[in-house]
Amino acid sequence: MENIYRPIRCEVKDIITESPTIKTVVLKPKEEFSFLAGQFASLTVPGVGEAPFTPSSSPYDKEKLEFTVMRTGRVTDAIHNLKKGDIVGVRGPYGKPYPLEHYKGKEILLVGGGVGLAPIRALFLALMETISNYKRIVFCCGARTPDDYIYKEMILDKWHNLCEEYPLCFRITVDKKNEEWKYGEGVVTKTLDGLDIDIKNSVAVVCGPPIMMKFTTLKLLEIGYREEQIYLSMERKMYCAVGQCRHCLIGDLFVCKDGPVFTYDQIKDKPNIWA
Amino acid sequence: MDTLYITKKDWDSFIKGKVEICSIFAPFEYERRLFYNRVSPDIEKDIVYNRVRTVEPLKMFFAPFKERVVPEVQEIPEIVIMGVTACDINGLKIMDRVFIGDDYKDPNYANRREKTLIISSDCLSPYTTCFCELVGIHPYPLDGFDLNISVFEEGVLVDIGSDKGRSFIGEDQKFFQASKEQINKREQNRKKISERIKESNRDFDLGNITTKLKGAYQTELWKLPKDIENCVQCGSCTNNCPSCVCFLLEDTGTQDTMKKVKVWDSCLFPGYARMAAGVSPRPTLYDRYANRLLCKYWYIVENYGKTGCTGCGRCIDGCPGKIDKRKILTEVLREKSAINR
Repeated sequence: MENIYRPIRCEVKDIITESPTIKTVVLKPKEEFSFLAGQFASLTVPGVGEAPFTPSSSPYDKEKLEFTVMRTGRVTDAIHNLKKGDIVGVRGPYGKPYPLEHYKGKEILLVGGGVGLAPIRALFLALMETISNYKRIVFCCGARTPDDYIYKEMILDKWHNLCEEYPLCFRITVDKKNEEWKYGEGVVTKTLDGLDIDIKNSVAVVCGPPIMMKFTTLKLLEIGYREEQIYLSMERKMYCAVGQCRHCLIGDLFVCKDGPVFTYDQIKDKPNIWA
Repeated sequence: MDTLYITKKDWDSFIKGKVEICSIFAPFEYERRLFYNRVSPDIEKDIVYNRVRTVEPLKMFFAPFKERVVPEVQEIPEIVIMGVTACDINGLKIMDRVFIGDDYKDPNYANRREKTLIISSDCLSPYTTCFCELVGIHPYPLDGFDLNISVFEEGVLVDIGSDKGRSFIGEDQKFFQASKEQINKREQNRKKISERIKESNRDFDLGNITTKLKGAYQTELWKLPKDIENCVQCGSCTNNCPSCVCFLLEDTGTQDTMKKVKVWDSCLFPGYARMAAGVSPRPTLYDRYANRLLCKYWYIVENYGKTGCTGCGRCIDGCPGKIDKRKILTEVLREKSAINR
């Protein structure tokens, strides 16, 4: 019997500093590993611990696997201290992917805040592979300050340049700007003001810190999105990732196997969802 | 179900013979309570049949308090467990759904289940804290065992629950088909015990508990039963529960050899659901206490189609705060229906 807890060994190929508190680790799995946008994996730092992360790299990239991680605790500290050549473990993929089949022909509103841009990046890269399936992508990004922005070069340069070629637009903001910042200022919900989007034929995908998800959801409802059109990436303490250890329950729903992406109508009546 | 009869004397010598060739665990009395112990030829006569549940829950045989899962345990012995009561059989059914009922199977658990023979038995002297009848479980197992035994003064009725159980008995000539009269007599005995449990729980009302508890998240609601504040969050109730399965994983390996150890956890511990940044979806004791009961009587029902509480009463017996869950639930359900009205 295959051991469900055995991680695949992966070599750390690179560590990219994204912001003062966020790094991206680039891994080369030593066995085949693939995932779909929205699915997550458990990343083991041997001898330290394991934590769940959604990859931030493209699901189409079979050569490498990237995780963008904010330093917040014991395991993420150890991840930030990794060096090129170190070995880590990865098991997965787990959970349900974004239901891209339901997104066909629609305008897709992506809303990411802070390190929450990580899973949105994987989704965005997957959407770009099959961009003709979708009507348009509106990408709203937020961060506290310009220094806290992750994927700066991509968001502000590379991806931005795609806007002329593809049905794509960016709405970029920071909570508090500095002198060099030439984009918007204000919390990410502000980017949702004056959206020229056919809401009936749209879905909204949101990922970010709980407070941001809460207010983004409320704003989306206010501008006319229905509860089932809002896709939220939920986060909970997690160990097994396979629906056994029960740490990740939101009411009766497992974040690990029923999620990690839920529509708002699935979870709105569950206890303390924005914790 | 096939039910056989054997005299008590022949059963004792049958077990004596089995003790020579298999590893058998059975309940023994120690300070007026029952504990599982390995049966050796010199203590075989002291096995306590058909009294009441043991102090330890059955789960410790299948999911020990702490064990290595990466790499998985290699040497898992074949064992026989005797004297398992219906409450623990029902706990095992939940464990089976959790650990081997899905695509993902816990390797150690699956292996142990495979290698264990379960001989359950009727419960004849329930404690006052026992309340299986309140959660729809009878004090006698009807399925989920390999063999079930009901011991009377004159003999033993043996229900065959599986092929594994049948081959344990083999071709032994001392077993006979049980008569209708013997089975009827057992039925009457069983009913009496059921009634006794219902009678000792007459002050509590857990009827339609799942429907009634739905949506009972509010911290304020769980502040109403005064006893909850006596909870010291020690985890006794979850550790003693035959169907509490929560665990955490620890990494103890190195880059060359990854190792993972699985350890029981308790949702009453403040750190249980706390995330990396320090936020917890259940910040107060009341949220955590509520969560355990909501999990037992609602979430598990949604997840696995049956209630997570087996009415064994261990959480009541073991609580250092002397919290009686039946009382809490009765109060919460009463308050909630008053609010809903």
